[in-house]
Amino acid sequence: MGSLKDSAVSGSNPLDSPVKQIQIDGLVVLKIIKHYQEEGQGSEVVQGVLLGLVVEDRLEITNCFPFPQHTEDDVDFDEVQYQMEMMRSLRHVNIDHLHVGWYQSTYYGSFVSRALLDSQFSYQHAIEESVVLIYDPIKTAQGSLCLKAYRLTPKLMEICKEKDFSPETLKKACVGYEHMLEEVPIVIKNSHLINVLLLDLQEKSMVADKHELLNLSSSNHLEKSLQLLMDRVDGMSQEIVKYNSYCRNLSKQQQQKQQYLQRRQQENTQRQSRGEPPLPEEDINKMFKPPQAPPRMDTLLIAGQVNNYCQNIKAFTSQNLGKLFMAEALQGHSS
Amino acid sequence: MSRFFATGSDSESEESSSADEITPKKRIVCCPLRFRFEEFTNIIKTIRNAMKIRDMSKCLEEFEQLYRAFLKSKTIMDKEGVPQFYIRLLADLEDYLNQLWEDKEGKKKMNKNNAKALSTLRQKIRKYNKDFETEIASYKEVLNCSPNDEESESEDDEESEDWGSDSVDSGGESEDNEGAAASLAVVFLKKYVCFNLELLSVFLFDGFKRKRHKKMEQVDEEADEEGEGEEGGWEKVKGGVPLVKEKPKMFAKGTEINNAVVIKKLNEILQARGKKGTDRSAQIELLHALAGISNENNLGEGILVKIKFNIIASLYDYNTNLAAFMKAEMWKKCLECIDELLDILFENSNIFIGENIAEDSENLAISDQPFRVRGCILTLVERMDEEFTKIMQNTDPHSQEYVDNLKDEGRVCGIIDRLLQYLESKGSTEEVCRVYLRRIMHTYYKFDYKAHRRSLGLQGETKSEQDQEESEGEDSAIIMDRLCKFIYAKDRTDRIRTCAILCHIYHHALHSRWYQARDLMLMSHLQDNIQHADPPVQILYNRTMVQLGICAFRQGMIKDAHNALLDIQSSGRAKELLGQGLLMRNMQERNAEQEKIEKRRQVPFHMHINLELLECVYLVSAMLLEIPYMAAHEFDARRRMISKQFHHQLRVGERQPLLGPPESMREHVVAASKAMKMGDWKTCHSFIINEKMNSKVWDLFPETQRVREMLVRKIQEESLRTYLFTYSSVYDSLSMETLSEMFELELPTVHSIISKMIINEELMASLDQPTQTVVMHRTEPTSLQNMTLQLAEKLGGLVENNERVFDLKQGVYGGYFNRDQKGGYQQRQNYQRGGYRNQNQSSY
Repeated sequence: MGSLKDSAVSGSNPLDSPVKQIQIDGLVVLKIIKHYQEEGQGSEVVQGVLLGLVVEDRLEITNCFPFPQHTEDDVDFDEVQYQMEMMRSLRHVNIDHLHVGWYQSTYYGSFVSRALLDSQFSYQHAIEESVVLIYDPIKTAQGSLCLKAYRLTPKLMEICKEKDFSPETLKKACVGYEHMLEEVPIVIKNSHLINVLLLDLQEKSMVADKHELLNLSSSNHLEKSLQLLMDRVDGMSQEIVKYNSYCRNLSKQQQQKQQYLQRRQQENTQRQSRGEPPLPEEDINKMFKPPQAPPRMDTLLIAGQVNNYCQNIKAFTSQNLGKLFMAEALQGHSS
Repeated sequence: MSRFFATGSDSESEESSSADEITPKKRIVCCPLRFRFEEFTNIIKTIRNAMKIRDMSKCLEEFEQLYRAFLKSKTIMDKEGVPQFYIRLLADLEDYLNQLWEDKEGKKKMNKNNAKALSTLRQKIRKYNKDFETEIASYKEVLNCSPNDEESESEDDEESEDWGSDSVDSGGESEDNEGAAASLAVVFLKKYVCFNLELLSVFLFDGFKRKRHKKMEQVDEEADEEGEGEEGGWEKVKGGVPLVKEKPKMFAKGTEINNAVVIKKLNEILQARGKKGTDRSAQIELLHALAGISNENNLGEGILVKIKFNIIASLYDYNTNLAAFMKAEMWKKCLECIDELLDILFENSNIFIGENIAEDSENLAISDQPFRVRGCILTLVERMDEEFTKIMQNTDPHSQEYVDNLKDEGRVCGIIDRLLQYLESKGSTEEVCRVYLRRIMHTYYKFDYKAHRRSLGLQGETKSEQDQEESEGEDSAIIMDRLCKFIYAKDRTDRIRTCAILCHIYHHALHSRWYQARDLMLMSHLQDNIQHADPPVQILYNRTMVQLGICAFRQGMIKDAHNALLDIQSSGRAKELLGQGLLMRNMQERNAEQEKIEKRRQVPFHMHINLELLECVYLVSAMLLEIPYMAAHEFDARRRMISKQFHHQLRVGERQPLLGPPESMREHVVAASKAMKMGDWKTCHSFIINEKMNSKVWDLFPETQRVREMLVRKIQEESLRTYLFTYSSVYDSLSMETLSEMFELELPTVHSIISKMIINEELMASLDQPTQTVVMHRTEPTSLQNMTLQLAEKLGGLVENNERVFDLKQGVYGGYFNRDQKGGYQQRQNYQRGGYRNQNQSSY
């Protein structure tokens, strides 16, 4: 709470992006946290709509509302209808009603998925400036607010527009897992009144309230992360095997095709020497249908997710190591 | 009765009335009648024709016409009564339709129109025939008097019908009906005579000792009399008709009956064998008659044996269809015949039989030389045995009939035993082998209760006399041993030996001689090449393996039991593999032909192995193996399942939304497994051994009590192991005394189990002798460490896979395979681009 300005600026500074900075109202952050607290538990994910407006190259998020949880058998529930309704109502009470993106909670940092890609694509396709806010409740519960804003890179947008995830196009586009999502820096802005209140609270709060931060137990969190990571690694292995067999098939077929062509040519030259007309040309592509290439998008997503996990684990372990050293020092001091 | 509506075969009653009725005057009145009548006959003829070619739609059409015509002439009918030929047609048509209806195969082949017409016609005629019930019933009664089977019936009907209409027609012409009737009578007479010939032969067979020619005369007279007599006599004619062509087969009047004549006759009869129009049952009768004649004339055993051979052969021939089984009476007859034949063979040691004796070198006449007869008694008996199996396969196993049929097994065994004695003295070794195998096949699956009792020393004095008698017989084990060893030594066909070995193993296993059975199985090397054997042998093999597994289980060798049953149970097709029933499958996988073949392979019900017992034994042994294993390897990523099926059952149990008390055998085992997982042996025990399970499974074993004790013991031991695996991390040290109390095992047993676990490095602990405690060592990796190890392994796999892709890109297949084991992908890192690599190399 002390960190009014969470300046987690990622390395790549997007130049051509229309949004360079995001400014979030404290209200939005609290609302998101509250939403998860009330409805999300375990690996369940909560989602909602962000409202706000664009000022120059800054996106200001001033309000939000959650998507209601609904079950499968609730067929007649219309999400779009609900959103429109909600926005109209908010407009009546004079709140910003422009749709600027959406938010989603995450479970141990797993969010890079096909679903996220698809919905963010459709958002960004409709409203160019929209972002997705990823809120990690577990890390937040450990004492540091974790909220990140992501946008799809223009490159990825193009690929998604084409809907072509074959290996060739991805290679041509030079899209690696690093270039899929760009993180946009976030600034949390509060009104002066709230700032005053916060300062007041800071005075009153005791050290004991912050001891969450110093919790030394780590294995549970690590285990979970490892499990998830392992799962993704398995997925990656499968994808690679698939791709591998595709490659092998392809090369085998190429060989066959080559052989066939050679034979054909030989025959033709023989026929020519005998004065016979050459064999009619056949559609070579029909005879050798190239094998279906596996879509590579999943692999990319998995790679992105794995990367994400790794970073999470790295950050977590380095923090914990620090804590452990600290604890050791304290022990040595007291004894 | 009007002659127009009289039966076709009527002749005498006609004579009395026709003279005054048929006058020119009356004829004018009769004309519409006659017209109707002709209409009827025409329609009936077409219907009969349509019936022959199975044209149902035509049949239906014509039938409707007939019905209309009948309605039109209703008034006359009412006056005169319904004509008999009409009734006959109705009855025949109904029979015919029913027959077609039953014939499912034929119905399938019919085209749509025909099938539709068939069902409509069937319904119609059923409704319609209700009006004529009494008439039809009386007609059928008359029909049943004739001894021949249905086929010939319809034929005669056809013919006599024709005569009927003929006679009427001719009668209608004019005065010469008298003459026509006379000629008809002549025709009938002829038939009648030959019919009586057949009767006569039956009489002869029954032992009537009258002179043949005398009888002939008598018969002739009778025939004359009856020819002029009332209708009742005429029905008999029908039976005789097809024999017209066979008439020359019987001996002419007064022929001296000697060997040559009888043989000639026999050959004549045999020539008809297998031909299409031959009446097979009549042939059997004829042969019987011939046997009677030859017996009567003392033509010697040679010829009798020859005839008997042929009787039995024609009995087998009776069913043309391979799938059909013998009727009960035929079967009885067959058994009798074979018995008689064996009697003769035993009494006369100077008869040589063999299939390799040529037809012309036979010696059937009484002479100084021994008889030589072509024929193979062994084949006949083998065929009989097969017929017996077929009968058992086709009887409903839960009916009294099955029990009755099963009683015949004693006779079958008796015959085989007698044949065995006979062949032991006369036959070649090959034949002896074959008959031995038959004997073995009838012995191997039967549990020898007498021997079992004897081995237990329960030779109580209270036993009845009968029991005493029975127990004097040889132990089946000794018989099996003797027969099988002979086959092992002498047999030259592989199949007989294989079957004998399998039966031998089965028998050993059935009587809990586990080591003999196992050694024999291992020595035979059958496991390697059984897949090349024919399906019946494979079924026998499967049965043997299952029996072996169950035997191992009884002996408490859980692992062996599991291994033996694994193949059969893991496929989920145990029923099919053991030949105990067909699995429901769709027609794509198996057409009707294959299904028939498979049906023929089924093992008769009394030889079945209880499938529930089999499954239970398998699941329980899987449980005893799997649960401790699972507990020991909880965190092992490379853990393999021992039994897939057991896991499947566990999963099914887990999926249940509501867990009630276990009902079925499987549920019991699943519940017991769950209890065992927690190391709770008492609950486990109560789930495995209780009233329900006793009645379902355990009571089926001959030594129930012993098996149950063994099971309890195993459950205690394995529960102890599971408990230690699961909860060792909780304890620092554990008193062995507590353990022995908990699991109700003796201290030394507990000690030995724990020591074994420590030696196998399954349990990280050491024993502290003075205090009798197990001290746990904390050396197991934590779950996080486990996880990391797993992850490392997975990543290694990932890298490997990735490199494969990379190799493919490079086009260097060798690259991946040639790289040495260690250093793997670190080396690879140098392997990027040509220029880079060269640079690297130069810098080395």
